[in-house]
Amino acid sequence: MAKPLAFEFCDRSVEVGLEKVDRTKLYGWVDVEVQDDAGRPCELATLVGDGHSVVGKGGTAIAYLTADGLWTTRAELRPVDANGQPVTPVKSSFDAPIKLDATATPDEFLEHNVHLIYQVVPTTGFDELLAELTAGTIYHFPFSYRGGVEASPAFLLLGGDGTPFLCVGAATALEFVGPAATAPAAEESADAGDEDALDFSLV
Amino acid sequence: MPEISLSDSRGRDAAVYAESVRVPVRVRYVDESGRQAATARVLKGTLDRDYAALLEAAGAPEAVAAALVAGDPELDVEATGAFLRDTSRVYVNSERRVVHAVTQVEVVRNPDGSEKLRRPKKLAVPNVTPEQPLLWGGKLLPKAAAFNKYAMVSKLQVVHVNGLTYDFLFGIARELEAKKSLLVLGAGPKANQPLVLRRGAVPYRGFLEGRTRGAEYLLLLHLSNIELKAPEAQTP
Repeated sequence: MAKPLAFEFCDRSVEVGLEKVDRTKLYGWVDVEVQDDAGRPCELATLVGDGHSVVGKGGTAIAYLTADGLWTTRAELRPVDANGQPVTPVKSSFDAPIKLDATATPDEFLEHNVHLIYQVVPTTGFDELLAELTAGTIYHFPFSYRGGVEASPAFLLLGGDGTPFLCVGAATALEFVGPAATAPAAEESADAGDEDALDFSLV
Repeated sequence: MPEISLSDSRGRDAAVYAESVRVPVRVRYVDESGRQAATARVLKGTLDRDYAALLEAAGAPEAVAAALVAGDPELDVEATGAFLRDTSRVYVNSERRVVHAVTQVEVVRNPDGSEKLRRPKKLAVPNVTPEQPLLWGGKLLPKAAAFNKYAMVSKLQVVHVNGLTYDFLFGIARELEAKKSLLVLGAGPKANQPLVLRRGAVPYRGFLEGRTRGAEYLLLLHLSNIELKAPEAQTP
């Protein structure tokens, strides 16, 4: 059985199970069968730039390169934030209870792209938390399934069908735009308004 | 920046831009001297040197093992580790030869894995173009009731291209904000078809959200391809 996720809610721990929800579970999926003229099954491969070498599944890898273009390993690199400051690795969210002390508005939730959806499977002691979710509260916290260099923003909320969900996503950089973003108006010249200054010899 | 054509509630349409919404990079990797590292895709091995090819040449797994001990038949020292640039996706058949003409059949499966139907594969045709206005279908979903019904997996920001379209989009944003609603945005003459932004791309349901702040506006086209609901229990 998978390890439960624990929330710290009203000074006590509430444990829940998580079940991943994706399109295949809701709507099914589509397999594509590809055959050649003789009816033999085909699979995708990569044709290298030389025009004749073909690389199959597992035939490529991602390499890390230094700023000088030299080969390096991931272990020799260090993660930093946007300002170049070292990033403190985060632990798995399953390692300790998650404190439910921050909430989000629907607008804040909508500002995120949702990448992962987990159906929250309640256990005993979930009633009070469920009542809060039913009232429309959205809890917001960082979440990392396995731990790593960063946690993703996550939201605990009640779905439209009354099922509690944990939605994990990414914040987006939204910017209000105004009229200044359009073409500037023509600059007024010192002799503006002087009709006699119109030079028709240029026409 | 793709150009789209959008209609307002008065039935007037205008060509505007739909920008991708940036997801800020929060973590990046640097080397020992604090300089930005990069990644590159490299070649490990080609089809003619993978296990299946070696097995065919050697005849038995034991012979492959012996060949690996004796030498490096899996390695092409000229190619292994080369950067992969200007690559193409191709199909190879069971004889591992590049195929130039293929038949593609889609097998649609139910959530339990059972086959629902078979059909020739058809690439989705884009239906969000400057020539095909996204009509104002009039279907508004209160934001408070819609945010937890659909998972918004991506979004585009609709922006103006000139002063006239600024007024046009500001008006749409203000109207949606006043109604505290998302406009269900669909393609086609009935504004009910999923949005296909590029050829062969995933179709999405679109939801237009508007916000204003003084003279500024934010017009977001939320894209969703999944509802926020529990899957039906499958019978074994």
